[in-house]
Amino acid sequence: MSTTAVETELSYEERLRLLRGMKLAQTREKQRIRGTMDFDDHGIILPPEDLRETVKTISGSGVHFTDVILKNFRPRPNHQNGGYYGPAACGRNFRSLLEVHPAYIDPMSSLAGAYMVNFMSYRRAHWKPEFDREELMAQHERYHIVPAIGAVQHLCQDLAIGLRLGWGGLLEKVRHFRAINVAAAEFYEGLEQVVLGTQDWIRRHAREARRKAQEHGPMAQNLLEIAEINEHLISGAPRTFREACQWILWDLLISRMYNGSGALGRADVLLEPYYRADVGAGRLTDEEAVFHIACMLLRDTPYFQLGGPDASGRDVTGSVSFLVLEAAHRLRTPVNVGVCVGEGVDEGLLRRGVEMLVEDRCGTPKFLGVDNTIRGFVRNGFSVELARERAYSGCQWSALPGREYAIQDIIKINLAKVLDVALREMLADGDVRPCVAELWDRFERHLGEAVAITAAGIDFQYEHMHEVFPELPLDLLCHGPIERGLDASHGGVEYYTFGVDGAGLATTADSFASIEERVEKEGRVSWAQLLEGLESNWAGPEGERVRRLMGGAAKYGAGGTTGDEWAKRIAGAFTREVKEKRTPNGHMMLPGLFSWALAVLMGKKLGATPNGRRAGEPISHGANPNPGCRKDGAPTAIAVAVAEVQPGYGNTAPLQLDLDPCTQNSAQDIVNVMGLIRGHFDLGGTQINANIVDREQILEASEDPGRFPELVVRVTGFSAYFSSLSPELRRFVVDRVICEKGAGA
Amino acid sequence: MTGRVFDIQRFSVHDGPGIRTTVFLKGCPLNCAWCHNPEGIRAGPELSFDREKCLACGECVRACPMAAHSLQTDGKGLAHVLDRGRCEVRGECVSVCCSDSLEIVGRSLSVEEVMREVMADRVFYRQAGGGLTISGGEPLMQAEFTAALLVAAKKEGLHCCVETSGFGGWEALCRMLPLTDLFLFDWKVTEPVEHERHTGQSNTIIARNLRELYARGARIRLQCPLIPGINDNEGHYEGIEALLESMPNLDGISILPYHPLGTAKLERLGRPPAFAASTTSAIRQSARFLAGRLARRGFRVVGTEGDRQEGGQRRAEDGVPRREGIKSDF
Repeated sequence: MSTTAVETELSYEERLRLLRGMKLAQTREKQRIRGTMDFDDHGIILPPEDLRETVKTISGSGVHFTDVILKNFRPRPNHQNGGYYGPAACGRNFRSLLEVHPAYIDPMSSLAGAYMVNFMSYRRAHWKPEFDREELMAQHERYHIVPAIGAVQHLCQDLAIGLRLGWGGLLEKVRHFRAINVAAAEFYEGLEQVVLGTQDWIRRHAREARRKAQEHGPMAQNLLEIAEINEHLISGAPRTFREACQWILWDLLISRMYNGSGALGRADVLLEPYYRADVGAGRLTDEEAVFHIACMLLRDTPYFQLGGPDASGRDVTGSVSFLVLEAAHRLRTPVNVGVCVGEGVDEGLLRRGVEMLVEDRCGTPKFLGVDNTIRGFVRNGFSVELARERAYSGCQWSALPGREYAIQDIIKINLAKVLDVALREMLADGDVRPCVAELWDRFERHLGEAVAITAAGIDFQYEHMHEVFPELPLDLLCHGPIERGLDASHGGVEYYTFGVDGAGLATTADSFASIEERVEKEGRVSWAQLLEGLESNWAGPEGERVRRLMGGAAKYGAGGTTGDEWAKRIAGAFTREVKEKRTPNGHMMLPGLFSWALAVLMGKKLGATPNGRRAGEPISHGANPNPGCRKDGAPTAIAVAVAEVQPGYGNTAPLQLDLDPCTQNSAQDIVNVMGLIRGHFDLGGTQINANIVDREQILEASEDPGRFPELVVRVTGFSAYFSSLSPELRRFVVDRVICEKGAGA
Repeated sequence: MTGRVFDIQRFSVHDGPGIRTTVFLKGCPLNCAWCHNPEGIRAGPELSFDREKCLACGECVRACPMAAHSLQTDGKGLAHVLDRGRCEVRGECVSVCCSDSLEIVGRSLSVEEVMREVMADRVFYRQAGGGLTISGGEPLMQAEFTAALLVAAKKEGLHCCVETSGFGGWEALCRMLPLTDLFLFDWKVTEPVEHERHTGQSNTIIARNLRELYARGARIRLQCPLIPGINDNEGHYEGIEALLESMPNLDGISILPYHPLGTAKLERLGRPPAFAASTTSAIRQSARFLAGRLARRGFRVVGTEGDRQEGGQRRAEDGVPRREGIKSDF
């Protein structure tokens, strides 16, 4: 599988066009074989046809999906249940997988490598049965909590370590500490196997590039360069910009393949010195640099930050920051890059980002309110210097590269389920007269219980995960795991700040508002009618009438309504519960408000809610108000609302914006969108995920996604091809975009 | 001081520069058949009924003392029937409606109430150079309230636009003059008799007010709606050009092609559709043609709405602005 060779010298533009065409064909094939993919696009490609085997599996972010594995690899179990557990077994099996993983060389690309398989998809029994989690899992289920238990990755490695040492240096480092710390031999064995497997994989790519150079006349020079670069990178540290891109890509590919990690951190800072040195020496043009970055981003879709302050507060925006944006602009594929917006951060970065958002319509880039996340992280008692080093690395999260384990964006408490438990308990209690005050008391109590269960789950994960499925590739690039002989999930790194997210804020706030207005104040719906509606899923004409009544109350996001007040109150209570508690073993938890694409899955298992939502429909998205909360759908109103519910401890409550295509002259559009972004951050916002979507186009695409194969949308924190999403997730995006317009629109 | 408001729209980006909040005042002396805000024409409150949303639950039938609502059987079952002859727009029906299908359009709001909503977005006005736009209906019909609102907005340092048909007393316009940063002034039909035929009023007063405002140094942007079969003709185009020639210091001109948003609103207000254009693509083309023609003659043309349809395409004039230091392009 490679782009067709042509007999003429090709420009970078032409090569990128061919590479994009190949990516599109590969995506179509993925859609055909794997079916829907409700997560990041990733750069994964399918194995050659004769090696394919289809399996049902679960992603690193907890989504069930159909995957394709290599059938010429079978992991060696070390447990009677057929599973393999612990660092040595995981490391050895991963190395065996890499040994049979085909090499991928596209003569058009300046970089080698692509990954075809998820190592996780070979894990048939995910949890080691000796560590009994059944009771804890049942407790989590009571509040529909997505637990910490079993979570992988969602931490950011420090690529600077790898760029400095190379794979050879990393191997030496592992062996050095292995000799000292004999008690941790199992762990070091796992790390060593990962490095050896990676080196072998790179070596095979170098060989394949040399072989292909014989076949491809016009691209032979490129292929020989690829071979030379990779022969060096088997052990050596990268010396040039192109080598650095290739090295980062190898790391991305193995960590993505191993457990789905895509956290890159500060790509611009990492690459800037190589860029300067090469340009200074006359070895590199901007055109080439953009091309190398584009080749890297075609093969994986990592999360990374551009610009923002370093530890001393100085903005690090550099030439590479803009080159990365330019690469994303030319690719127009799903790219997860976040642009820093804040005091002292280069204004040009924001402007260029907004221009791309408006022009490319790919939901790229995202915008990071770094002043507020830094200020928030400091409120936990950390220094401002440390807080500034936290880098954007995942859908909605940041982490200290190589130093922080927080499994952010995994742990979710469905606030709407907590309300459901509280409401049913109150209505079943013959000793109390139902009222909103009583409901709130019970909600707070159950929220406290939900957080306590979550905390117990975090300790359980910390206790056991390293013996189940350790972080190996990420451990290699963290400060501490190799030195201490401990996995990042188990004391290897310095900071443990577990991210706990509240989900379904608007569903819960609107439910409280509806109950307060319709049941308590107006008396238009009785408690019995409400319960009947919830139990019957609003069945019959009377059920529908009650549903509409409940759904018609003033919503969160409308501005100054009962719903807005409830949202602030609920977010405040959630923040307090998470912040005031530590886990039983003393770990810190940081509150955020985000649901990721789980809004759809969490909704599927939740019954009807008092805000008129039907059973099975998605819960509200992240910290956002429900679509249609205002007649004019004004994004400014939504931006104000989300700014007011920020937990404020360094983790985010992102604002999702889906804007109509702007219609005035483009200069004013840019100013307006920039104003919207800056305004939200002025009010305390932490992150913005934005789409510029044409309503008609997205409606048409929803009917017939195949007609729009290149339509890229920012679904939540991640971006993906619209046509790769399940009908439910497509509907979820469309519902957000289609809001009624009021007068004068 | 209260005014009759039928809508307040935040993040309004078509009614003047930057991010704005547009306050729509109810009541207009003109009666343009193509009006896209027909709920702004009559001064008094009106009952809007959206049949699509109605559940025919009958709550309004029980609530209405005027017996304006009834349920009648049609072929498919019960259907809600509204007798507007009996309706006094009292609102009992709205307060019991569970489905939001009934709504009273037009509320009486104080300056403070309007300003509370307007100021919710102040941070965005500051960031994007926007502010308040007063539109309608016709602000000149509520001159006192408009002036009071402008005074309050100016006190907060907001940029203020007034969107007007120009039909009204000069004194009213004159009061707004020092408080208004930009007038969005309609120029609908050039020929006075035709103007009267299509809008119910001659444009003699409008033209006089426009010239008077211009003479006093007001910042004015002309807004020309382009309506198929009404004013998409050479005579009007030349009239616009002559007007622009005679007022070289205008802030610019916007060409607004007809869109049929008003039709559904009319139906909800129980009024017959007054204007129908089967397709809008031709008029959008005409708008682009006219905008191009005016731009070539050196007039400043501001955002033509027809451009909306071009969304997603790369625009030729869009270069790729870069930071210094990025030298090459593919």
